[in-house]
Amino acid sequence: MAKVLVIADIKQGELKGSTAELLSKAKAIGAETAVVAIGSNIESLANDLANAGSDTQYIADDASLELFSAGPYASCVVDAANQFEANLIWFGFSEGGKAMAPRVATQLEAACATEITDIVLDGDQIEVMRPAIANKVTQKVKINTKRLVAVIRAGAFEADEGISGTENVVKLTAPAADLKAVIKELVSDASGEIDLADADIVISVGRGTKDQAGIDLVKELANDLAAGFGSSRAMVDGGFMAHNKQVGQTGKIVAPTLYMAIGISGAIQHLAGMNGSKTILAVNKDPEAPIFNVADYGIVGDLFEVVPILREEINKIRS
Amino acid sequence: MKILTTAKKVVDVELTIHVENGAIVEDGLQYVINAWDENAVEASVQLKENNGAETTLVSIGSGDNTDMIRKCYAMGIDNGIHIDDPALEKADSFVFAKVLQKVYEAGEYDLVITGKQAQDTDSGQTGIILAECLGIACVSNVIAIEIIDDGKIKVSRLGDMGTEIVEVVLPAVITVSDSINEPRLPAMRGIMMAKKKKIQVMDLAGLGTSYDEVGGGSLKSEVIEFMESEKRQGGQKFEGDAAEITAKVVDLLVNEAKVF
Repeated sequence: MAKVLVIADIKQGELKGSTAELLSKAKAIGAETAVVAIGSNIESLANDLANAGSDTQYIADDASLELFSAGPYASCVVDAANQFEANLIWFGFSEGGKAMAPRVATQLEAACATEITDIVLDGDQIEVMRPAIANKVTQKVKINTKRLVAVIRAGAFEADEGISGTENVVKLTAPAADLKAVIKELVSDASGEIDLADADIVISVGRGTKDQAGIDLVKELANDLAAGFGSSRAMVDGGFMAHNKQVGQTGKIVAPTLYMAIGISGAIQHLAGMNGSKTILAVNKDPEAPIFNVADYGIVGDLFEVVPILREEINKIRS
Repeated sequence: MKILTTAKKVVDVELTIHVENGAIVEDGLQYVINAWDENAVEASVQLKENNGAETTLVSIGSGDNTDMIRKCYAMGIDNGIHIDDPALEKADSFVFAKVLQKVYEAGEYDLVITGKQAQDTDSGQTGIILAECLGIACVSNVIAIEIIDDGKIKVSRLGDMGTEIVEVVLPAVITVSDSINEPRLPAMRGIMMAKKKKIQVMDLAGLGTSYDEVGGGSLKSEVIEFMESEKRQGGQKFEGDAAEITAKVVDLLVNEAKVF
């Protein structure tokens, strides 16, 4: 029987949605499930972790684990994987997951696959599907080891509302700190802002917004909708938007219910980061912009004219 | 300081890719340096210019990588190594990391800089596995590197909660994001000089190893089939009076897509 260990996605003391999505998939394939949670002051999450669909909760709770550090965090995952004898170790899509997965795989002598969109088990045989070349092709990958460490792509699995688990907490010993890579400071650039990875609605700005005034105009709409606020690469390179707002092949990969691309032409690298969204709305004054090739709804027009109307119309509906 | 930088030759992602019988159609493909590796080359050359360093580029892969390595020479890289062995065709990230380990051990490097992922596989594993195999420090998704002294650097990493400032003891592996710099266009003088420089080309035997020793005989994973990714179809596009078409689209978002 497959045994799936899911790495809990915890941000600012809160359990994020991807954990339940991964555990739902694990239950759907008939696997035994466990979760490993790493951080400081997180023991109170045990109940949430069980409710997300896990039957064992490995918890590494220590002051030394307050800030992410790939080495010690990966050690906790390896510890839990060995105790649980997991053959599938799943990370949700995050920078932390991407940094840990290859370390964990090397230490467990397991295979490693990132950006997984599906996983197929046939007895002991594991096959995974993953996009490559900026999502132009999909690879079917055969895993030759008994164990697989995988990073699951955003939006690949859906949470099953009816899922449940049982509380069975196993405390992990905190590993030694990594003295070769010491975190000196965390410059938080998003306090109080909606997390792009979790947002139901994401609104991104591109070159068409021109400057700060244009960005502010779109930001008002994002605030109204409590939407995640993202960016194309052009606006990051131009210094208008922070690096962590970049949606695309190299930045954040998002799959919200609604994605609005405002003044974004739609370079292939940007599309690779958002084409898993359920519904896409694009506003661009160039009718030939490639973004219209993926948008469900396209408005050809000047965003400075369209966005205020869009805001007014949406607010009318929502009130 | 001795810096080792990696560069992979990858298919140009801007071009249309065709798949036939489970494989990518090679005909008509063009190859370029992996964009993130180009950022790694630029980062290495900047460290050389600002702090003094000897920079070596290594590229793994069968075929002619001369143009790519010469481009890196023209950007300012000092030495180039090409590990050219047809056995590596199906290699996974672990095999590439083991080959890089051999190159690293032959050169006594202080710092390895790689792109955070390759544009053809989007895996983002090799640099991290290399550090793990070597038992040295690793920071991924880096957007700034600063030399503190011969034994220590300070890097900025883009993490989930913000920018992490990390002090790193050398030797170390750093994987860089494209946000770290804007790679230079080589000057004509550099391009001319690059033509005269030698490239060290060797196969696995020349590197003092074999395909089995780097794990080729027991690949952990293998790509067995390629498919064209499902293409998203464009839907309805509206032109005309802004107020009218915007109201229409909002109506569709509510009643057709049911997002509100």
